[in-house]
Amino acid sequence: MNISNTQFLIGGLVIAIIIGGIAVFFASGDPDGLESTALYVQGDKTLTGDSPEDGDPEAVGVSDAVEYEAPLPDYSMGEEGGKAGELFAIFAGIVIIFGLAFGATRIIAAKKN
Amino acid sequence: MHIPDAFLPLWQSAIYWIVALVFIALALKWAKHELSEDKIPLVAVLAAGIFAIQAFNLPVAMGTSGHLVGGALAAIVLGSPYAAVFILTLVLIIQGIIFGDGGITTMGVNILNMGVIGGFVGFYGFQTLKRVGLNRYASAGVAAWLACFIAALAAAVEMAIAGTFPLVPGLIAMGTYHAAIGIIEGIITAAAIYFISTARPDMMAENATVEATT
Repeated sequence: MNISNTQFLIGGLVIAIIIGGIAVFFASGDPDGLESTALYVQGDKTLTGDSPEDGDPEAVGVSDAVEYEAPLPDYSMGEEGGKAGELFAIFAGIVIIFGLAFGATRIIAAKKN
Repeated sequence: MHIPDAFLPLWQSAIYWIVALVFIALALKWAKHELSEDKIPLVAVLAAGIFAIQAFNLPVAMGTSGHLVGGALAAIVLGSPYAAVFILTLVLIIQGIIFGDGGITTMGVNILNMGVIGGFVGFYGFQTLKRVGLNRYASAGVAAWLACFIAALAAAVEMAIAGTFPLVPGLIAMGTYHAAIGIIEGIITAAAIYFISTARPDMMAENATVEATT
């Protein structure tokens, strides 16, 4: 089953969009490994126990850190954006990274020739 | 494994950024040498796929979730650890700037852990395991597991140097959680390599070298 470059490109993009769409509805809300470790070393969680609902992993961090407000924080359009906002955010992200990687590689490859 | 801004003092973030920039420069040099027009679909699809799947946190028990990092996958498919640095840098820039996933000051350390360490451990782990006789999918899976696990231990050491996590509990917890998350990394990496090899065997870097030498 050999497919063309265009089929690979479009097929790959479609698969990424499907994965992103599923992620919006089925991704686990549990903290990731780094956040879980932060909760564990703060004593908010045992090593293998459940994570607290309202735990703040970043409480362990430095307080004068740079505060950066991302336009689509946590792959969402904020609380009021709901699932539709999350779908928009993840689809926008996939299209942007796809375009960036495509464009960057194209520019680099063109310079070579 | 995305380290937020609050987890590192600025001066340490700056040091990791400098190290990351050295590897980014080397990755750009690799890209200029190795990336031709025919690699565009593979790089674009890998970047989009890694980005999408990184947003999909799967439960790994112990109150924890995790997702694919993708450094090993990019390095194995494109045949160089610098491919992982190149692609993960693009992914981390978008994640940090647009989605606040991973900090801005800590983007350097995240590139170092996921792109550089993930890519090098994944690539050379894969080569070594294949050489000792493991089949390519098992080699890719185990190398990807190792890439995730070792990058996590590196993050624990960085957190200890920063004074954010104590060393031993940090290593134990990061190691435990990412030993579990690494299973996801291993399975998805092996599966993705299987799909790419089936759809476009010519796109796999290892096949290209085989063809060139025979």
